[in-house]
Amino acid sequence: MKSYRMTAPGHPLRTLLIAGAGLAVLLILGLVFPSPWLRDTMTSLFASGLLAMSLHLLVGYSGLVSFGHAAYFALGGYVFGMTLQAPGYVETFGAWSLPSAMLLAMFGTGGAAFLVGLVCARLSEIYFAFLTLAFQMLFLSLIQGFVGYTGGDQGLTGGIPRPAFLGINVTQSWDRYAFCATVFVFGVLVIRLITESSFGFTLRMLRDNEARVKFLGINTYLTKVICFTLAGTLASLGGVILAIFTSAAYPEWASWTKSGEAIFMIMLGGVNTFLGPLAGALAMRIIDDVTLLYTTHTELAKGIVILFVVLVLKRGILDFALDRRRSRADRRANRDRAAAHEKERADVDS
Amino acid sequence: MLTLDHVVKRFGGVVATNDVSLTFPNESLSAIIGPNGAGKTTLFNLITGHLVPTSGSIRFEGDEIAGMKPAAIVRKGIGRAFQVASIFGSLTVEQSLAVAVTAHERRAFSLGGAFRNHTIRRRTEELVDLLQLNHVAQRISGEISHGDQKLLDVGLALALRPKLLLLDEPAAGMGPDERWQMMDTVKRLWKSENMTLIFIEHDIDLVFQTAEMIHVLRYGSVLASGTAEHIRGHPEVIEAYLGTEVTHEETEVAL
Amino acid sequence: MFNFDALAGCLSASSCLVTQLSTGVIIGMLLFLVASGVTLIFGVLHVVNFAHGAFYMIGAYSAYTGYSLTGSYYLAIAFGTLVAGIIGILFERLAISKVYKENLLMQLLVCYAFVLIADDLVKIIWGAEYLALGIPDEFRVPPYRFAGGVIPPLYIFLVCVSLAVAILCLLLIQYSRFGKIIRAAAHNATMVSVLGIRVPVYFAALFGLGCALAGMAGALAAPVRSLTPGMGVSILIDSFVVTVIGGMGSIPGALLAALILGMTRSFGSLGFPLFVDGMMFMMMVAILVFRPQGLLGERPAR
Repeated sequence: MKSYRMTAPGHPLRTLLIAGAGLAVLLILGLVFPSPWLRDTMTSLFASGLLAMSLHLLVGYSGLVSFGHAAYFALGGYVFGMTLQAPGYVETFGAWSLPSAMLLAMFGTGGAAFLVGLVCARLSEIYFAFLTLAFQMLFLSLIQGFVGYTGGDQGLTGGIPRPAFLGINVTQSWDRYAFCATVFVFGVLVIRLITESSFGFTLRMLRDNEARVKFLGINTYLTKVICFTLAGTLASLGGVILAIFTSAAYPEWASWTKSGEAIFMIMLGGVNTFLGPLAGALAMRIIDDVTLLYTTHTELAKGIVILFVVLVLKRGILDFALDRRRSRADRRANRDRAAAHEKERADVDS
Repeated sequence: MLTLDHVVKRFGGVVATNDVSLTFPNESLSAIIGPNGAGKTTLFNLITGHLVPTSGSIRFEGDEIAGMKPAAIVRKGIGRAFQVASIFGSLTVEQSLAVAVTAHERRAFSLGGAFRNHTIRRRTEELVDLLQLNHVAQRISGEISHGDQKLLDVGLALALRPKLLLLDEPAAGMGPDERWQMMDTVKRLWKSENMTLIFIEHDIDLVFQTAEMIHVLRYGSVLASGTAEHIRGHPEVIEAYLGTEVTHEETEVAL
Repeated sequence: MFNFDALAGCLSASSCLVTQLSTGVIIGMLLFLVASGVTLIFGVLHVVNFAHGAFYMIGAYSAYTGYSLTGSYYLAIAFGTLVAGIIGILFERLAISKVYKENLLMQLLVCYAFVLIADDLVKIIWGAEYLALGIPDEFRVPPYRFAGGVIPPLYIFLVCVSLAVAILCLLLIQYSRFGKIIRAAAHNATMVSVLGIRVPVYFAALFGLGCALAGMAGALAAPVRSLTPGMGVSILIDSFVVTVIGGMGSIPGALLAALILGMTRSFGSLGFPLFVDGMMFMMMVAILVFRPQGLLGERPAR
């Protein structure tokens, strides 16, 4: 028998090019349709998209269901905003204020996620989920409690100073849109690099058969902690985008409904595809906006759609589409094979 | 290479393993057979560290391993395939083998692109050839046939280059032709990987044709040990399987 | 932020002590009733009912309507309980039973959908403004005085009813035929159905019972809480904290945890009003880290 050759690995350059193309498309969209409504909608989609995509690392790729992911989204926004609002910060760092605040938000949130992950990763499924929720509610009550620092229930008010840097002024519509789009594409690119790396496959193994993973000598606890930390850090980027966009940060960003929505976006779009969560975020936004044309009862519409997806489709939109394409391809292959047999038989007979 | 010395395992009042002493020489191919409930899988669990012996010692390459954690025992070079294939259902066959090799190469936490490393690719291709899984290598492992899944399970264990491989009923659940193919594969793997191999099986014909040494277990203790010829004519073994004293003619028919 | 003086002052004054203790007890008992429903459903059906808060809300609103129609608080309670139970059975049959075998994610989503729908339906039927039931006529009597403190008779009623109902349910599950069948079916539904027992009917009944408990708690709480479409959320979180701290599947554990939480809320609102929630979650974190099976639970967490 001929010696086996593995399928060729994807070239990392290809991923970069696709990311670049995606960014180009987003930027062109923003230029061709300069309406503020489109740019604002897209920007808020960037934020919720990153929230969902980062959660997907946990839910979709590792099989770890976290109910409290919105905490890191909110932390990103709050650390970013509080840093820039801190007296003397903008004066000291000038043009570097905004980028440094972003980095601080990412590291701070990453650190928090790491600590929470250390505690949560020791527990199994349901208890893991509850503990992540408990930590989120803890963060929320801390946010609401330290009114002096966080503005409590009102959120960070008074606006967040957003000084220009490298020629970018995010108080301007186009600059803000382009910058947020870039941060978004960057975040998605990082997530893609993670999922297609060796570590990404380790996560998939964890999801499929945790016991066997231990048999391969891999430390599953460490795997979970690292994944949790990465996911939290990437979620904070989403929070930063939203903070830049709204020039504020609100405690609702750390509510359990926010976490629930993130899980729903992943489910709606498809747990088994990379871009599923983005599709889900978009679909949810469409449901909201379309419903609002007729009635204020967006919750009712969302609830009915969720039931439809779970009970009827039994999987997300992109999963459903992919399954249909695969079964159509299978059917076509079967038909071709049957036709080939028929022809053979006809040839033999004649 | 592996020595069990007066190993006893008690679960409360039940004695699952009753003073078992066995030796498995380097690069040997041995089988453990016996009626259901004889304690075969328990023995495997004791060797791999999932159960701790109540008393007795288990030595692997001279080191005492009784009481060590399963992960540590895996690191020492003992691999295991399971009765019910324990695989990664959503990955393709080649991906599954590749991740196992990646783990062996200690690159499971690398953020570099998966399966780009030359060594990993070569070894994965080698495994696919060895297991003759070429025809399903790119199919999702959850969707391939039961027999192929069992082969993949063995492959996942082989990826760690074990010195000792334990196979728990490799032919379980397979049709008549498949079983012989599986045992041929087992023999082939044993020869090419230069390892010690112990397997549990129920089908006596398969065992006689494949194993160098056969150990018969019954009620947790060793009933007999020896080559196929020795076991074939052993009166106590015949009694254990057929339940009564038999004449020479019945022996011919039964075996 | 932290008002330890007020707290210390209260602990030394018997009137304040009595008032706060009684408040803590009724918060605890109502929470216990809701948590019993969660624990019952989880312990037997192994489903975490994330929609439980919605049934609490349904019970409260139905009781409100019941009271407006009949003028009798007792009938209102019965009405609220019944409506919640029936809707619970329907929900189980139409949605929950389809996701028993599925993973946690699907169950969560089905419940989340129900909550969204229920919240909006309540808004449509009763409106979005706060509603208040007020103290019902049957209980417009002078309060009891004890050690200088005040205890409204309504409170005594609430405590007695909650305790009685929860104990009844416990006895039902432990000793009745219904309870034995349910517990057997939870272990091995196939075997039980082979014996000729219609397992789906029992599962639906149990789920309905759990939801009825939540509905009853809502109805009982209606006089002392304002009704709003979002009222299910906080009780849901609280009941989960109780279930986790007490132990999933343990009703005595739920009682203990509920009382602890009730006291935390009651005295906490004096001593650290902005951190009451924080305190609760810290307790939950502590339990999950040091004793994941809860104070009195038996299921292992690893």
